[in-house]
This record gives sequence, C-alpha cells and structure tokens, in this order.
Amino acid sequence: MKAWRLPPHIVLLMPAVIVLAAVVLIPLVLSLYSSFTPFRLTRPDSIYQFIGFRNYERIFTDADFWIAFGRTVLLLTIALNLEMVLGLGLALLVERASRGQRLLRTILMFPMMFSPILVGFQFKFMFNDNVGLVNNALQSLGLTDQAIPWLIDGTLAFIAITIAEVWSSTSVFAIFILAGLMAMPREPIEAARVDGCTAWQTFKYVTWPFLMPFAFIAMTIRSLDVARAYDIIKIMTDGGPAGRTEVLWTLIARTAYSDARMGMANAMAYVAILLSIAFTALFFRQLGKARAQVAADW
Amino acid sequence: MMDANRKSRIRKRLTDWALTGLLFLAMCIICLPGLWIVLNSLRPTVEIMAKPPVWIPRELSFDAYVAMFSGVGQGGIPVVQYFRNSMIIAVTSTIISLAIGMSGGYAFARYRFRFKGGWFLGLMLTRAVPGIALSLPLFFLYARVGLIDTHAGMILAYTALNIPFTIWLIDGFFRQVPKDLAEAAQIDGCTRWQAFWQVEFPLARPGIASAGIFAFLISWNEFALASQLTRSTDSKTLPVGLLDYTAEFTIDWRGMCALAVVMIIPALLLTYAVQKHLVSGLTSGAIKG
Amino acid sequence: MKLMTSASAGALILAAATAGGASAQELPGSFEGVTIEAKLIGGQQYEALYNRLAEWEAATGATVDVISKKNHFELDKEIKSDIATGQLDWCVGSNHSSFAPQYPGIYVDLREYLPEEALADFVAGNMAAATLGDRLVMLPRAQFDVSAMYYQKDLYEDADNAAAFQEEYGYELAPPETWEQVADQAKFFADAPNFYGTQYAGKEEAIAGRFYEILVANGGEFLNEDGEPAFNSEAGIEALNWFVDLYEAEAVPAGVPNYLWDDLGQGFASGTVALNLDWPGWAGFFNDPEASKVAGNVGVAPPPVGSAGIRSGWSGFHGFSVTEDCAHPEAAASLVWFLTNEESQKLESAAGPLPSRNAVWDHVIAEAEGDAYRSEVLAAFQTAAETAFAVPQTPSWIEITNVLYPELQAAILGDKTPQEALDDAAEEATMVLEDAGEL
Repeated sequence: MKAWRLPPHIVLLMPAVIVLAAVVLIPLVLSLYSSFTPFRLTRPDSIYQFIGFRNYERIFTDADFWIAFGRTVLLLTIALNLEMVLGLGLALLVERASRGQRLLRTILMFPMMFSPILVGFQFKFMFNDNVGLVNNALQSLGLTDQAIPWLIDGTLAFIAITIAEVWSSTSVFAIFILAGLMAMPREPIEAARVDGCTAWQTFKYVTWPFLMPFAFIAMTIRSLDVARAYDIIKIMTDGGPAGRTEVLWTLIARTAYSDARMGMANAMAYVAILLSIAFTALFFRQLGKARAQVAADW
Repeated sequence: MMDANRKSRIRKRLTDWALTGLLFLAMCIICLPGLWIVLNSLRPTVEIMAKPPVWIPRELSFDAYVAMFSGVGQGGIPVVQYFRNSMIIAVTSTIISLAIGMSGGYAFARYRFRFKGGWFLGLMLTRAVPGIALSLPLFFLYARVGLIDTHAGMILAYTALNIPFTIWLIDGFFRQVPKDLAEAAQIDGCTRWQAFWQVEFPLARPGIASAGIFAFLISWNEFALASQLTRSTDSKTLPVGLLDYTAEFTIDWRGMCALAVVMIIPALLLTYAVQKHLVSGLTSGAIKG
Repeated sequence: MKLMTSASAGALILAAATAGGASAQELPGSFEGVTIEAKLIGGQQYEALYNRLAEWEAATGATVDVISKKNHFELDKEIKSDIATGQLDWCVGSNHSSFAPQYPGIYVDLREYLPEEALADFVAGNMAAATLGDRLVMLPRAQFDVSAMYYQKDLYEDADNAAAFQEEYGYELAPPETWEQVADQAKFFADAPNFYGTQYAGKEEAIAGRFYEILVANGGEFLNEDGEPAFNSEAGIEALNWFVDLYEAEAVPAGVPNYLWDDLGQGFASGTVALNLDWPGWAGFFNDPEASKVAGNVGVAPPPVGSAGIRSGWSGFHGFSVTEDCAHPEAAASLVWFLTNEESQKLESAAGPLPSRNAVWDHVIAEAEGDAYRSEVLAAFQTAAETAFAVPQTPSWIEITNVLYPELQAAILGDKTPQEALDDAAEEATMVLEDAGEL
C-alpha cells in the first residue's frame, strides 16, 4: 500500500507560501484593519476605534492624492519604457562586443550595486543648482550662464528624478535581455540571413519575439519593485517643492511617520497596492502572450 | 563585384566603429556617477563644494577611510560591524531564497495543478506591496515575537522580499530546459531527484546565478525595511549606516562617499565572480528544443 | 573660572548631603548590577559624549546597553513605532525640544528623581522649554541650537561697496540688524548665478521654523490663546513676503525650496553667499581652511530683529529623557543627570556646540579669550540665546509644519499669493488640530 503523500507541487511550494504569509500576508491583514481606524502612532489606543470607510472617503475626495496618483502612473510609464528601450540597446551593444564581455557585463550591472538611497544622495547633489555637477559642467562648457533650478521647477525635477531612476534601473532590463540574447539559438538567425533578411528584419521577426518574454519578465519585476524609487525621490525632493514632485510613496511615508497618521497612510497604501497590481497584471498578461508566441515558434 | 564587396566591407567597418564608440559612451555614462563618488571620497569637502568647480583634483588622500575606521569622536563609525551584518544577512537570505525559489520555480515549470496561474500571480503580487506600507505592521509582528534588531528577522524579511523574484526567474529558466531531457534521464534509470541535479540544474544554472545576483544585490542595498527593523550595531546594515554621516544639520559628504565605496566593492567583486558561472552555464548548455 | 567650578561642585555635594526623602538621591548613586537600556542620537558631533558612559558605569556599578543609535529623524520614527507597539521598557532616550511634545506621557517628570540643586544651574529658558505642562521631561545637554548671522567680512570692509550701498539704500552698510536690512543687503550683494545675497532652507520644518521666528519677530502669533492657527495675520504675510521677495529678486539660489541645512552650510562655505543665518554647529566649519573657502573672513552677528522690535530666536536643544516604563528610574535619572552635568557639558561644548548650563557658558567664554573669532561667535550666540524661544508646545507642531511648508513654497514659487497660501495652510492646520483632538 502506498503511503498518502502530499502532491509534489504542494510540497515544493510550501516554503515559499509559509515565508510570504508570515512576512507579507499577516502584516497586510493588520494594516488593512488599521486602515479602517484613525490609528495614530503616538496614540496606540486609537487602533481600537473603528471608523469604517472614512479614511477612504477622504482619500477619494482629496485632489492632492489623485494628483500624486497621476504623477506616479506617469513616472512609471515613462521610466519603464525608457528603461526597456535603453536596456535593449545596451544589451545588443554588449552582446556584439567580441572582447571584454565579462568586464562589460559587470559594468552593465554597476548601477544595481548602488543602494537606491545612495542614488538619491548622489543625484540630488549632482542636480544641485548652485554647486552641483550638472550645472557646473553646463556652465564650464559655456552652454548656460544660468543656475538651472533642476530640483525646483516641476518639469525639470520630474526629469531629474526620471534620469536618476533610469540610471539606476536600466541595468535590470539590459541584463535580462542580454541573458535572453545569449540563450538564443543561433540557427534561426543563420536561417533568416540565408533567406536574405536584412538585419532589421532579422531583429524584428526572429530576435525580438524570442527576447519578449525576457523583456516582460524584467518589466514585471521592475513594476513590482518600482516602489524602490521611493528612496530616490525621498532623498532628492521628498515630493517638493510645493508638492510638485509628490508621488504616492512620499505622500504615504510622510502621512505615516512624520504625521504619525498610520490609519490614513495604510488606506493610501492600499490604493498604491491596487495600482501595482494593475500594472503587474497587465505585464503578466503580455508575458503570457509572448511566451505562447515563443512556444509556438520554437 | 569586387568594388561592391569592398564598399560593403568599409561600411561594415564604419558601423562597427560607430557601435563600439556608442558602447564606450554608454559605459562611461554608467560609470560616471560611480567614479565621481570614488573621487569625492578622496578629496576634502572644500574641493567637492567648490565654486567655481575644481575639475582636476588638487589633493587626494585616504583621510576619510582612515577616519571611518577610527574610534568614536574621530569620525569613526562601526563600519566593521555594519559590514559583518550586511554580509551575514545578504548571503544567508540569498541562499535561502534561492533554495525556496528553486523548489517553487520547479513546481511551476514542471507540474500541472489547479489555479496555477492564480497561485503564481498571487506569489508575485506579494512583491508589489511597497516596503513603506509593509514596514510598520511588520514591525508590530516582529516586536511581538522578538525579531527586532536581529539577524534572523532581517534574513526572514529579505528572503520574503526575494522569493517572488527568484521563483519567477528560475521558473523562466526551467521552462527553457526541455522537459524530454529530464524524462530521458529518468528512462535511463535516474530518479526524478537525480535527473534534476544532473540534467536540469546545470542547464538552469545561468538563471539561478542571475537570480542569486539579484537577490544578493537587493538584500545588500535595501533601506526602507532595514531602517525600521534594525536599531543597533547588532543588526544595522551598511545602507542604514550611511545615515551615520547625516546629522540634524549636516551631511559629511566625503565620509558618505567613502562608505559608499566600501559598500560597492564587495557587490562588484561578487558580481564579477558570479559572471563566470553565468557565462560557463550559458556556453556549455546551449539551450535547444 | 576654577573658583566657579569648585563652587558649583560644592553646591552639588551640599545638595547630595542635605537632600533626603524619596524625591532625591545621591548622585551619581550606586546601582550595582542594574542594566540601563538607552536609545541615543548618533552622529559625529553627538558621540564624543558617549565616551563618558564608561565613567558613569564605573561610578555606579551599573551597565549601559545602547540598544539603538540613529540620527534624529530615524530615532523619532523608531520612538513613534515603540509607542504604537507599547515597547517602552527601555530607560533612557535622546530627546529634542521640538519633538518632545509629540510623545505624550511616555517620559517621567525628572524632578521626582533628581534633587532641586542638581537642576539649578541650567539656563532658565532651556528648562522652561524642557517642561511640558508641569513635567520636566528632559534635561538639556550641551547641544543648544539658536541661529546667528554669519557673513563675509570683506564685503562690509570694501569702500566701494559701502558707498554704492549708501547711495542706493540711504543708510550705512553694516552687518544687518533687522530682517529688512537683511533683504536690502542680500539684494545688493546678489549676482546670480555666481553669487547670492543670502539663502534659506526652503522645506520641511526648516522653513516653517524660520517663518515662525520672523512671524514672532514681527509681532505675530503662530497659534492664538485658544490654540487656533493665527499665522495668517498681517505679521504672517509680512514674514512670508520676506521669503517671496528675496526669491523673486534672485537674491537667493533658485534651488532654495529644496535646500535643507546641509545645503546652506555647504553653500556658505563655498564662498558664494554673503549672509547666512545658521546654527552654531557650523561656526568651526566655516572658519576651517580645510573645509571652507571663507575661512578667516567670517563675521558673526546676532539674529535680526523683526518689525515689532523683537529679536528672532527660534531655538531647540537635545536632551535626555527617562521612560515611564523603565524598571530603574533612579538609575536612569542618574545617567541623564551625568550626561548633562557640568563636566559633560564642558566636554561637549569644547568642540563647539552651545551649553545649556550657566556655569558652562561662563567657562566657554573664558576659554575663548584671545581667540577673536571664537569670542565673536560666542558673543553673538549668547545675545541670541538671551531672547531665544522654542516652538509652540503642541504635539501637532511637526504635523502642522508638514501642511504649512508646501503652502509657503507655493507662495515663494509664485503659485499662490502669500495671503492665499497662509489662509490655505491655516485651514489645513485647523483640520490637523481638530483631528488630533486639540481643538
């Protein structure tokens, strides 16, 4: 008689589920509950006071919150797309280099070795209007005699933040796409060349479809991980000045700790989580499609 | 015919040069902020802050590094303890999350079960929770069970942070390994376990290596959770230590740059070392269907 | 000086000898086997003092276990988390006068554990700010902060400058006495983008605090008697206009709305700013040729006076508190006393920070004799300290500054008029106070 055993996939998934339940799910339930209370850190008793949807009602009528929401979506869209295009370009350039692959790949991953908080300090300093590297360089080269207020003007600050974000995260795309390029079988490309395809055609119809799943994995992972940008923005502008660069995470963090209004902050966080889920689900679907495509082709 | 050939050869060479130049430029842009940090860690603040700017350094010294390792009051910070904490936490959590990720990734790549897509998405979405939303409730929980300011607590948190990530990556790479290879091995008399280690694992090694690099770098650099869950030199990590150089009114920019260099070097060395596995894995096992 | 030290030491011995009953103890006392857990502010300028922990351990037989060492803002976050989770059984915590009102009831009244004599020598204003309601929640260490006006001396010695200034503004060029003069001179010296007249920290509590002190100097109130926001008054508009005016005139760097203290200090040290109202911690830095391009050329004047004839003097200080949940409050109070006693304050103030004990003030001034720069610095800061005032004692201060500063920035950047900005801020601040149950 065969002893009853758990199906292997359940055994294999068990450790992951346990760890994630302990570190993510249980805290999330806690914070979901607290989003229905007026919980303030400095008044612990307030967690037992139930106020229904009042925090959520306030959020939904708060124009500042929705502006921050919109700005977050815009930042994500621009940054992720830029990172993908640049990452693809970098990967292709590195792949065709015949020497120094190891060094090149290490350099490619260089920005990933910078803690986001460090990236924040570094770019804040570089974009300082008075003694920053960027303005100094522009002035020394005679391109401008103005002190460009990089972190003050809404648009410029948005650009500065996007640059910092793109600098720190393009690597993720580049390295994934590079991994895809290297895993790619040679024959289809040879075959395409023999069939008289141009380089562009080969790329478009052979290489890129194969790379799509890799690009989308990177995209999805980045969209999951994008709240990392919080550290950068927090240091560079902390949402300022006058709320011109406020994104969801800076708003949440300030409400939560500086104002100590944790209940309200958790309500905001849930809206932010929904946003992340929407982005992730979108990429996930596209990843599925791309995978099916590759499976059909190869 | 000859002429056309030569023309196309010249054109090819020109494109080659242009692309190499472009690559060089891109690499410079990537490196620039890093080099700037190294440079600033070696020169006095007055030169960093100078206006008009000082482009070519006039005096270089290792003062900031010497100070970092000095005692309290001479500009020292407990960098050795921070380094040790960071190392223990990052390495352990990377190993654990790789193990869990391999088992999870294998389950998704090789077995069929109900609601598979839902499970997968569910696991992934745990990563979508911003650290800032997680930090306080997690602190509550940790305070209850006494995990605040411990290595174990940080390792657990980072493992959770990295699992979705490693499962995803490793799943992707296992998918690229054709199923029939392992099946063939099983027909040859291997158990499933042996087939995994001897056939599928080596082929998925590049995926595991890159998942490992990612997990390590994320743990090594994480700040939001660490700033909430660590408190003293018992568990404070290097990114949290960076803030030792900020006071209420001041930032010691040179000191911070020096610590940043100390932080980046191990990550750089490790990445460089693991590259080899990534490469050999890729070249030895060209993936074919 | 020696006489003074021994006199106050004598007073202490006397205090220890005559003190009796449950409310007083011998200092530092004996606490064999006791372990005191402490959360201390970290950072270069604060840590030299912690070398004295070993001395206290040797004197009392107790052990100090430093369970957390972080910078000020991180420590604030941590203590709030502790309050939320009820983890307050550590004993000694670093505190700050601006943050203390936010931690209601978690710290003991130190008067219950320390003899009156041990508390006698502290500067009266500091003690008042350390007292919430009728509880003395912290003892100030030698980290007292009030601002003074640093300026580049040669700008004022230049005869051409003086003549041109006289011509344009109708009075003699001299280090500024009033906020209006600061504005005039800043505009006079400014030559953007290479040189700026002055600068201010343009975000968070930093700008809210500066606004608050100019408001008070102009005769305004931040909160009125009933605790309602009252900063949208005429005095408030006048105060805000000072910031707006300088920004529009490009007399300050265009980046100021994103500046914090470090940017100001580095900016002045880079030699590109004429006037800089800043903290005492920078005094040494500015005059250090290794760190600053203006070394040797730094003058220091007391902070300016507002239109109501009141001198600005937003101030704050670091101190130490003892938690209510502490198992050994006597030992903890002894440690707090020790870290703020005369010897400790002398040690800390030797590196530059300002003391909060009268005897130590006398000591540092005597020490500085013969050092013209240091004497000038101390004289300016002593004048500032005499009329210094703390932030309003409401637990919501930080939260109010968080709704106020984006509005101040909006006015500075021209998105709103000062009146609109302050009205909006007052409305939001009212909501904050209502939510907190203070109104």
